[in-house]
Amino acid sequence: METFLDFFSFRDPSVVSVTLGVVLLTASAAVVGTFTLLKKKALAGDAVAHAVLPGVCLAFLVSGTKHPLVLIVGAFVTGWLSLVVMDAVARRSKLKEDTAIALVLSVFFGVGILLLTYIQHSGNAAQTGLDSFLFGKAAALVGQDLVVFATVAAVLLLLVGLFFKELKIIAFDEAFATSIGLPVRGINLLLTSLTVLAVVSGIQAVGVVLMAAMLITPAAAARFWTDDVRTMTLLAALLGGLSGLAGAYISYVAPNMPTGPWIVLVVSMLALVSFFVAPKRGVLVRYWQQRVLRQSIMDENVLKALYHLEEERDHSHPLSTVSDIVALRHFPARPLQWSLRRLRRQGFVERQNGHWQFTNAGRTKGRRVVKLHRLWEIYLSEYLKIAPDHVHEDAETMEHIITPELEAQLERLLAYPTVDPHNKNIPY
Amino acid sequence: MKIEADTPIVEIHDLTVSYDSKPVLWNVDLTLPQGALVGIIGPNGAGKSTLLKAMMGLLPVASGFVRFFDAPLDAVRRRVSYVPQRESVDWDFPTSVFDVVLMGRYAQLGLLKRPRKSDREVALNCLRQVGMEAFKDRQISQLSGGQQQRVFLARALAQEADLYLMDEPFAGVDAATEAAILDILQGLATKGKTVVVVHHDLQSAANFFDWILLINMRLVASGPIDRVFTPDLLQETYGGKLTVLAEVGDLIAKRQMPSREKY
Repeated sequence: METFLDFFSFRDPSVVSVTLGVVLLTASAAVVGTFTLLKKKALAGDAVAHAVLPGVCLAFLVSGTKHPLVLIVGAFVTGWLSLVVMDAVARRSKLKEDTAIALVLSVFFGVGILLLTYIQHSGNAAQTGLDSFLFGKAAALVGQDLVVFATVAAVLLLLVGLFFKELKIIAFDEAFATSIGLPVRGINLLLTSLTVLAVVSGIQAVGVVLMAAMLITPAAAARFWTDDVRTMTLLAALLGGLSGLAGAYISYVAPNMPTGPWIVLVVSMLALVSFFVAPKRGVLVRYWQQRVLRQSIMDENVLKALYHLEEERDHSHPLSTVSDIVALRHFPARPLQWSLRRLRRQGFVERQNGHWQFTNAGRTKGRRVVKLHRLWEIYLSEYLKIAPDHVHEDAETMEHIITPELEAQLERLLAYPTVDPHNKNIPY
Repeated sequence: MKIEADTPIVEIHDLTVSYDSKPVLWNVDLTLPQGALVGIIGPNGAGKSTLLKAMMGLLPVASGFVRFFDAPLDAVRRRVSYVPQRESVDWDFPTSVFDVVLMGRYAQLGLLKRPRKSDREVALNCLRQVGMEAFKDRQISQLSGGQQQRVFLARALAQEADLYLMDEPFAGVDAATEAAILDILQGLATKGKTVVVVHHDLQSAANFFDWILLINMRLVASGPIDRVFTPDLLQETYGGKLTVLAEVGDLIAKRQMPSREKY
């Protein structure tokens, strides 16, 4: 708790700079990742993230320094090279794109690990800290490193902001964008460079292994909440930034802990929450809607059964018992009980010493379902020429779907028929 | 059977298009008149969409060239509007109907510029013309097939072009939308604009267009509908593939032969 307050009071200037740096990095990666996601290039992003490792190692081996600019240049070169190779393999050989991506990812990353192991065993005094590129170390983001990485992140944000309109149209409809003379190749090149740069700048905080998650997850989470690219981008930046903040905190509490996994865990949690609770697109909401739909179908079926029972008795007396209902249609006991209770609460049925009875509203509703069922049966047999003994099943579903407008249309089309194909009366 | 236009605004010269070095359209050579509603007709796989894409420079051309308004495409892009097939885009993309129509203004805007008030008004007017004003703020995934076609048409109208190239604008639409789209296209033609439409339904083609291109891997006919839409020419278009042509195409693909010699 104490460390929590220490951290979030931001009294320590190094805390401020680390936090600022990490948030900027994760947010900018999320913004670029939005377009990587919309262009359906998520997997390629993962491959690029892994492919920067050999670049970092080579740059270190050649120059002998850990200056961030040198490492960025190295990472940029192999990151780009991986994209070129992916593209060439997919286009020039018979291999499909996913194979090309898998190939490039494993080959580049393998070479990277090889080089990293070599460096670690070479006894080079300056190599300490290079392995933090694997899983990220936010605490190392100070001084010169911070300035360089933060500048890269700021440039990324600026470029996406400037070319927002173009990035959007190319992600949506590339053929159209080409047809109006937009420099599509140029913009695609820009997005590719941005992706590589986002990966390169993010690895200090997150590490190459998990960088793809930082690129894609915030955007994927944001997609659940909105149907607008602009909002989606801002939201992705926010979610990315939040997880970055969490990463900075972890780095403060446990300086020896790699930050990448923590940042990714936090952003994944945010994505998971979005997946479940987001309005409209969330799984819970959809499950709830399905449930409500199932319940209303059940209720309509119960009302229909009550109407059939009344019809059998020539509408002489309206009282039915639960066993009457079950004898007519084999509803399972529990759901039937719940449904009757629901219908009573809603005022469609009443209960009198163990017998169930319609209210007026209930009778009207039950009658309508029966009418729709029979009208649809007529429609099927007259217009689709389906035999009368084959129309029942279909009508069972349609009776719950037909809207009042369609109902009126059906009535007019069939000229208010009086009996259905089974010679049953159609109640109006 | 090829009839040249009196006042040609499109000139296609010896155009051959290949996929993976396999020619799919051979030596198409024709001119199109101004103010006409042109239908491109032919069986499945005849290369109708390919012709449109090649005209717009979306596919590499093996040989030949296309000129619009007596100039190369790049010089007159703003006067040419292209409507891709509806299925070519992801309709689950997070954007609204209005934003899609606004994309029609991007050519006028140029790079890095935000849409101005006038662009918004043009876009809104175009939405009104296709009867989709009420759907302006809808997310595009909630549209029916016919509504999607209307949105694409509105986007094309927002370009305020002189020549429209449309890939299957009548595909998957209901009768009401078909009539509405046809009405707008005919309106454009009477205003002197030229509209070129890839179309798959022979029945309606007879009533829709006043100039017809019959295509089946090669140009069978091009000309006014009363001269070209004849049983003989239709038979030639639909009746049987030219097997020798197809086999030569396969051969070229197998040998990776260039379809034109360089020197």
